[in-house]
Amino acid sequence: MTAENVIEMLHITKEFPGIIANDDITLQLRRGEIHALLGENGAGKSTLMSVLFGLYQPEKGVIKKNGQEVKIHDPNDATALGIGMVHQHFKLIEVFTVLDNIILGAETTKMGFLQKREARAKVEALSQRYGLKVDLDARVEDITVGMQQRVEILKMLYRDNEILIFDEPTAVLTPQEIDELMATMKEFAKEGKSILFISHKLNEIMAVSDRVTVLRKGKCVGTVDTKDTDKQSLSNMMVGRPVQLEVTKAPAQPGAPVLEVRDLCVPSKIHKKNAVNHVSFEARAGEILCIAGIDGNGQTELVYGLTGLEKSSGGTVTLCGEDISHASIRHRGNNMSHIPEDRHKHGLVLDFSLEQNLVLQRFNEKQFQTHGFINRGAVREYAGQLIEQYDVRSGQGPVTTARSMSGGNQQKAIIAREVDREKPLIVAVQPTRGLDVGAIEYIHSQLVAERDKGRAVLLVSLELDEVMSLSDRILVMYEGEIVGELDPKQTTVQELGLYMAGAKRMDENGKEEKGA
Amino acid sequence: MKNQGKTLLQRDGTKTVLASLLSIVIGLVVGSLLVLLVGLFSDNLGLSSAWEGIRLIFFGILSTGRSAVGNLTWGFNPQSIGNMLFRATPLILTGLSVSVAFKTGLFNIGAPGQYLMGTMTTLAIALGIPSSALPGPVIWLLAFLGGMLAGGLWGCIPGLVKAFLNINEVLACIMTNWIAANLVTWFFDATKVFQNTVENTKSSYVYKTAYGRTLVDGTWTYVDGNGVQTAKLGLDKLFPGSQVNAGILIAILIAVGVYILMTKTTLGYQLKACGANRHAARYAGINDKRNIVLSMAIAGALAGAGAALYYLSGNTEFYWHTYQTLPATGFNGIPVALLAANNPIGVIFTGCFMSMLNIVGLQLTNLTAYNEYITDVIISVIVYLSAFSLLIKMLLSARKKDKPEQAAADTPAEDGPAGEASAEKGGEQA
Repeated sequence: MTAENVIEMLHITKEFPGIIANDDITLQLRRGEIHALLGENGAGKSTLMSVLFGLYQPEKGVIKKNGQEVKIHDPNDATALGIGMVHQHFKLIEVFTVLDNIILGAETTKMGFLQKREARAKVEALSQRYGLKVDLDARVEDITVGMQQRVEILKMLYRDNEILIFDEPTAVLTPQEIDELMATMKEFAKEGKSILFISHKLNEIMAVSDRVTVLRKGKCVGTVDTKDTDKQSLSNMMVGRPVQLEVTKAPAQPGAPVLEVRDLCVPSKIHKKNAVNHVSFEARAGEILCIAGIDGNGQTELVYGLTGLEKSSGGTVTLCGEDISHASIRHRGNNMSHIPEDRHKHGLVLDFSLEQNLVLQRFNEKQFQTHGFINRGAVREYAGQLIEQYDVRSGQGPVTTARSMSGGNQQKAIIAREVDREKPLIVAVQPTRGLDVGAIEYIHSQLVAERDKGRAVLLVSLELDEVMSLSDRILVMYEGEIVGELDPKQTTVQELGLYMAGAKRMDENGKEEKGA
Repeated sequence: MKNQGKTLLQRDGTKTVLASLLSIVIGLVVGSLLVLLVGLFSDNLGLSSAWEGIRLIFFGILSTGRSAVGNLTWGFNPQSIGNMLFRATPLILTGLSVSVAFKTGLFNIGAPGQYLMGTMTTLAIALGIPSSALPGPVIWLLAFLGGMLAGGLWGCIPGLVKAFLNINEVLACIMTNWIAANLVTWFFDATKVFQNTVENTKSSYVYKTAYGRTLVDGTWTYVDGNGVQTAKLGLDKLFPGSQVNAGILIAILIAVGVYILMTKTTLGYQLKACGANRHAARYAGINDKRNIVLSMAIAGALAGAGAALYYLSGNTEFYWHTYQTLPATGFNGIPVALLAANNPIGVIFTGCFMSMLNIVGLQLTNLTAYNEYITDVIISVIVYLSAFSLLIKMLLSARKKDKPEQAAADTPAEDGPAGEASAEKGGEQA
């Protein structure tokens, strides 16, 4: 079984204008192995997988399946060869049910009529066998991201795919969901399915993969056995220089409270209860306060309530001494900047140029307009300055359409914009989601630098590593309430996990209560 | 900068123009086929009439009638061109109306209703103020502004409903259209004074604005020539025999104004931000509700302005039994905007094109045994195709991608930046 290659991609070269995305890359995938593909954003991982999935045609190189050369012109060819892919951004139809999404494109029909009962039985069997819990009749728009991903996985299984590609599957998952996914992947591998696992999270790669191929700047740096390597050497291979995996920061010097929240309630869109239920806390100048918790425990709504995107139904929010509980979003923006959770929904107008996006809140300021006419020169100059200072890379500089930029650089643009507004409070929601080591290192250092300038940073994160290394103080949210306040220096990941799962909580005096 | 390294053919704008031209050509070809079929299967037409019809469809604007021996003659026809410009005036404005709303992410199918409200208000002001009370130009201006205001207010309704109750603007627009249609009929029916009784051969028409409200022997009557008309500014000399007036110049000025509004001002920036991503606009503190209402108000005002310019010409009559039909000018704003890809400057040209088809239809009726409805078919084909213009654009791009050296220039927009610098630093493809 050892040397049996299911898929071989030999000397693949794929060029885009001005850039060689894949330069003579060879990748061999053995039967029953989990093969990780590691690289920074822009290293060519997704391009390589898109070539395998038939989305791009390579200029040079051949693809072999079981030793036979094959041509993959489009995803249908790939499916026919048993190749399935879970994309980073899910390809699901939001208004369809889970079942409809799974069978879409591979429907069983009888005389043109759908035979959903058979399909349902098959999906249910698969779901049970691999422990992939999904609600087949729920609409995709109503289910969590974790479940959406399980739907994507079931889609591949439903098509009896043997080669499974996972493109950054853990970027959107909670720690528990990640563990489940890892277990499922190992289960697949045991059954002889072969998995290509694209990631830049070293922990996961170390935990789950058998071999790792590292890409850097479109070139293959090498393939190593996971058991013969470690995190540090992998990250050095990936980035090409020694990387700092831990955040270095001086002890916080907390000052006066910048943000005071008292009894804040925000109603839920999904159920009748409050998504944020009588939450009180304060964020002080010069500290990074982290709201930790499993996705969907009210963190999003808390941020919406603070920033004004959603109306609160009770309680007060005081920012810099001013009651902003009912203030407009723009007014709140006077003292607050906000790095939003969803950069495509809230963070950017994707069809606008980078420079237009960089002044999204500031276009009305004196320096950028005269009598209602936009001062384009000033906007461009300012954009150029931010691009330079924050190293936002794009094809055409300030006039690049935001949509065409890579995720990491879109995020950098948002961070540049928000940090540069120099507001006393920065609300950063999952600022490093889906980014590579280099970009994370950079964003973390930016947030620490802002803290050291005396700003209050309210960080909402789902990633335990980030919570532990970056924050000065941790608040844990569970079912819309704050169940604990922890000091990252004195707590452990395990303890934090217990609070996040609701197994532990503190009373008002900070004393531990019995399990809720 | 934006199109650095791209040849003219590969620019996005060029593709848009090409897609629109292609829609137009296909529309004309389909019209020609229809003319051919009708010609072949009709007793009093034949292949030669069909050939004449086809030539008229493509070049009807340059037709000068028939020679003594009965052949079609061609040349510069000032009357046709003047009338084309005159009829283009309201189309340009309803086209602008649709495109402004579209940029804010709204589909203004309510232009006919806004147009009607504009018509009613303009006529009521122009015919209601006694010609002795104010100088003509002042009455004209009041009537014009009144028409805009009425259209704008009418446009606000779907905007408000959309912004505050989240009811689809298309539904609200359709309803307000018919409300306007009935309201206008009721108004002219109930007020009676504006009904044209001088030319008693006509029924259900309102006075032309050339008629002025005048006190004759102690009773108010309407006297021809005492009313208001849009100035000709010598355009009638340039295009003798046509209805053209300064309205077209005003329409062009407004189009340029809209272009400036949408591309150069903070208001346009906000409107477009709301249209492109309402969530992000809200996040940035832009008042999305206000902008939705504002956008619909501007759209309505533009449609109202179209109506005002059309009826203030002095020689156009308004048939006030509108409760059964909505003005085509309002709906035709949609293809005008679509063909122009919502570009305000483009709207000037597509508006002229649509009115040209109108003239072509008249030429067909006048010079051949065909009737003008052929041009309606052409318009409808073009409407279909312009709705597909995005598809056509994609096809244009796809065709180029087959050629490897050109593929190079197309992909970066979708797949990531391509500059040398970013390639050096690691690129952004993944």
